[in-house]
Amino acid sequence: MWRAYLGLIRKEFIQVFRDRNMLRMIFAMPVVQLILFGYVVNIDVKNIAVDVYNYDRGQYSREFIDAFKAGGYFVLRDAVTDRMDNPLWTLDDRFKKRESEMALIIPEDFSDRLTQYERVTVGLIADGTDANSARIGSGYAFQIVQKFSQKKTGFTLPVQVRSKILYNPEAQSVYYMIPGIVATILTMLTVMLTSMAIVREREKGTLEQLLVTPMNSITLILGKISTFAILGIIEMIFTLVLGVLWFGIPFAGSPLLLFALSFLYLLTTLGMGMFFSNISSTQQQAMFFAWFFFVFAMLTSGFFTPISNMPVWMQYVTLINPMRYFMDIVRGIMMKGSGFTDLLDNIYALVIFGLTIFSFSFLRFKKRIV
Amino acid sequence: MSFLTATGIDKSYVQIKALQAFNLEVNEGEIFALVGPDGAGKTTLLRILCRLIRADRGKAYIAGLDIDRDFESIKSLLGYMPQLFSLYPDLSVEENLKFYAGIYGLTGAAFEKKRDYLYTFSNLGPFADRRAQALSGGMKQKLALSCALMHDPRLLVLDEPTTGVDPLSRHQFWEILKQLKDEGVTILVSTPYMDEVARADHAAFVLNGRKLSEGTPKELAAGFKGQIYFLDCKPSRSLVENLNKFEGLTAQRFGAGLHLYLNENDNLDDYTAYLSQLGINVDTLKPTAPGLEDRFIQLTEYGL
Repeated sequence: MWRAYLGLIRKEFIQVFRDRNMLRMIFAMPVVQLILFGYVVNIDVKNIAVDVYNYDRGQYSREFIDAFKAGGYFVLRDAVTDRMDNPLWTLDDRFKKRESEMALIIPEDFSDRLTQYERVTVGLIADGTDANSARIGSGYAFQIVQKFSQKKTGFTLPVQVRSKILYNPEAQSVYYMIPGIVATILTMLTVMLTSMAIVREREKGTLEQLLVTPMNSITLILGKISTFAILGIIEMIFTLVLGVLWFGIPFAGSPLLLFALSFLYLLTTLGMGMFFSNISSTQQQAMFFAWFFFVFAMLTSGFFTPISNMPVWMQYVTLINPMRYFMDIVRGIMMKGSGFTDLLDNIYALVIFGLTIFSFSFLRFKKRIV
Repeated sequence: MSFLTATGIDKSYVQIKALQAFNLEVNEGEIFALVGPDGAGKTTLLRILCRLIRADRGKAYIAGLDIDRDFESIKSLLGYMPQLFSLYPDLSVEENLKFYAGIYGLTGAAFEKKRDYLYTFSNLGPFADRRAQALSGGMKQKLALSCALMHDPRLLVLDEPTTGVDPLSRHQFWEILKQLKDEGVTILVSTPYMDEVARADHAAFVLNGRKLSEGTPKELAAGFKGQIYFLDCKPSRSLVENLNKFEGLTAQRFGAGLHLYLNENDNLDDYTAYLSQLGINVDTLKPTAPGLEDRFIQLTEYGL
């Protein structure tokens, strides 16, 4: 039985490495995703177009504006000082035409009040269409305002809003996205390959002669999923190495813990894959199920949108998504250096999901093959 | 002594009855051929015997073992080759063999010995590194047979192994079967080709899930009722139709001519007039001994 098992894994590997398209998928996928998410989907906010409505003629307002110019976050369209030529009400129009994303309004008495160490309020209006830019842009603006008042008056009083981004002070999205890619790739690869595994043999008729041999269904399933587990981990290492070497992302925690927990997570993905293989009669159907699951899992995992930004009812929906917990684990270990005890809640969830899904699918699968 | 026995096998699909009260007995060390058109139920029967599907009713025993209870033990005695090529097209000849060898626990020297033995009669040795998908139809079937022989089975179940294979390869394939039979392997094979049936020890005609007739090829052919005349002519469709119109006459295309069937007690002279009307000179008709095909046509088309 052991020989049959090893023989099966050997066979699966030969087949994978002989299938050009499969190889392309396995090795091009992480590269393409890393490039897309690392460069194209850049959720860092830079070069925000800001209209400056400066009604103050004093020295301080000019220095204030200069403070905004530094840093490259904002592109200022300043010197809009003539009330009649550029009334504030044109702003709405400018936002709609995407000519401007944010407006900074400096009141007439800005310099006077600051000279007298009095409180002054500046206006900041952001275009909320792009919620991400608006939020992050405002954050930058608050920091600049704070620093400016500190420098000029010695107090942070004039502006009372505090904004701070933890763990990722520069809001570098790559640091945040790559752990997410690691989680999504591992999920996608193992769920898809497993879902098509047995269906493929059945569809191609290769199961027919195999079923009359002493190779039993347990060996058959275990041999297949072991192959995909190994491939998944190879893929994960490949993605991590690319991420660290190419994008220079930090890896704060223990790689060993990450791999151990990845194996735990594989129980869930392999189980889902077996389930889809079980309820499908063609590879196409299996692919469809796997894809549907993957899209749901990815969108509700917090990969793009933080779960806390979702409506409350949706936050409850995310609880049934196993990938959500793994996403937390990967990000936790890589970005914050979380240890085993920090991640206990997620680990419990994965143990429950893994054991339930895997054993359910495994038993159903066994029945169906025989 | 019978090696395989099946009694009262029933199998129905939603619309059709694939097998009805089918009985089968195959003796140890013989080649038994199941012959019949597509959809006759041959594949269903073979798949039931290999436990790929379950019969609705009926029992089957292989080497005295009940297939419903002891199939795990039967597996080591049984080699099966499905109708459709069932090996991995992206693996080479040798890799396919190696994979099957692994299932039966053959590795290292034991595998190499077995492989070389299988190469001697399949002649696949020179193609060891060729992918299975690049093999010809005949070679594919020999490879599938080799895989099915990996564990020295005592019973080989072959489902239309020569369908779609060129005549020379078909001949070679049957030579291999003959050789295996001489080594003591029992073979149950289905085929649509009558010339192959003649090479079997026993055969059964199968139609619509029933066994119409059974026996040695000679017995089967001898079951023909009536007389046969061979007419050497170009058998046009209209000629066959006209012949069949006449009461008491039936005609069937046969190779380069046609076979004219008459009832047992009829006299050819009674038909002279009609035949000459169709431009046939009675003197050119040659009485012929019935073949398997004649008997099969008689059974399937006229139900005699």
